Amino acid sequence: MLILGIETSCDETAAAVVEINNGRTFQIKSNIIASQHEIHNKYGGVVPELACRRHVENISPVIMEALNKAGVTINDIGLFAVTKGPGLIVALLIGLSTAKAIAYALKKPLVGVNHLEGHILSIFLEKSDLSFPFVALLVSGGHTELYLVEDFGKYRILGMSRDDAAGEAFDKAAKMLKLGYPGGPAIEKAAAGGNSRSIPFPRAYIAKDSLDFSFSGVKTALKNYLNGFTPPYSTSTMYLPDVAAGFQEAIVEVLINKAFFAAKRYNVKTIVMAGGVASNKALRTGMQERGSREGIAVFYPGPILCTDNAAMIACAGYHRFAAQGFSPDTNFYEMDAEANMKL
Amino acid sequence: MEILSSSPEETQKIGKAIGKLLTAGDVVCLYGDLGSGKTCLAQGMIKGLDVAEDKYLRSPTFTLINQYKGRMPVCHLDLYRLDNINEIEDIGIEEHICGDEVVIIEWAEKLEKLLPERRIDINIETADVNTRKFIISCPDERFVHLPNPNK
Repeated sequence: MLILGIETSCDETAAAVVEINNGRTFQIKSNIIASQHEIHNKYGGVVPELACRRHVENISPVIMEALNKAGVTINDIGLFAVTKGPGLIVALLIGLSTAKAIAYALKKPLVGVNHLEGHILSIFLEKSDLSFPFVALLVSGGHTELYLVEDFGKYRILGMSRDDAAGEAFDKAAKMLKLGYPGGPAIEKAAAGGNSRSIPFPRAYIAKDSLDFSFSGVKTALKNYLNGFTPPYSTSTMYLPDVAAGFQEAIVEVLINKAFFAAKRYNVKTIVMAGGVASNKALRTGMQERGSREGIAVFYPGPILCTDNAAMIACAGYHRFAAQGFSPDTNFYEMDAEANMKL
Repeated sequence: MEILSSSPEETQKIGKAIGKLLTAGDVVCLYGDLGSGKTCLAQGMIKGLDVAEDKYLRSPTFTLINQYKGRMPVCHLDLYRLDNINEIEDIGIEEHICGDEVVIIEWAEKLEKLLPERRIDINIETADVNTRKFIISCPDERFVHLPNPNK
């Protein structure tokens, strides 16, 4: 069966055609992402109104391109899957309304997908034989969360950020350092060749046994450093690679320690990373090294599947569809976007 | 009036004391740099508005609007990612400001002409590595006897 996924929860307009074989193995036929980073770069963040207008302009061409690249027509699609939350409501509505209109016109099933479930299950697009349970570390601009994943559709939240998300901390730090948007890749680039130990940015562990995160303190520590409030009290000799590497390390180290702490606490032998920050090389390397030391397998999808994409929505949509006995969401014409949708 | 804080914990206490004195329809505008403690102060205010202690009061930078149920509805807005007044109007901010909820707005200076005349302004100055000065201006006298956490 062919599945068309549609994703417009934040700044990417995305559509993908995915084929499911034997109920488990996915083949990505096309995975189109119209990124708006160029527009957002100017503003140092995601601008909802621009995001919304761009989604309207992009959505039909992106869907057409996904179909063309897959070499199929819209009539070949057996299931439509669309992100219904969480995200920016004005952005979500564009994808949702489009999907509803197409499914209605073609009398085809449609399922609404939780964006976070899409990220967590994205690994199955590349590694269909991955077995449960696993700990999922979801790290992006809007999310920093740890889940215990026991099966498709069975997610238990173990911890989350109490203030800023990891990606948000990277974005704000990059803004303070005038490095541009998105902040994660900009900091990673600036950190090349830097000594991550030369500036001791704080690590926030909250309580010893807590799986929650807090990244607002390290952001303030960077501000204090740049204001000359902390040693060496002057940034005139600031060496950017050291600052970027130190900041990056402060975030990455906490993410790694908490993910492994969660795996140990729930006696799980597999950790899966997802979300934009999961593309960070320091995080990937650190997780792999720690995993091989402790006998825990670490998986993460390729960079494209770490960003907001529609293939992951098709994948999660299929599993939801299967769990519902291969029937669409009841009354899907009335389905609404949920900005604060929980997993 | 002015009040000093020497730690994030004290900032939260100050926020909580302010939150206890807020009533439906209040619009609280927060001004200050990245890392000055706007979200931290807002978290205290939200607690002072009787939102359950175990709730996660996260930064609304990404979501733009976080809503809570306290003594009255609480709306925590963050305009950091918005660039101009048209974009702010487009996300329906006026509906919140004119309602019966308490509205806390970070980066409120971006509201420009949409800023309501009757509002509580809190300017945050970074005086030192951990010291923050909160300068509160309010059309009435309710914060005059705000308990000082330093005492």
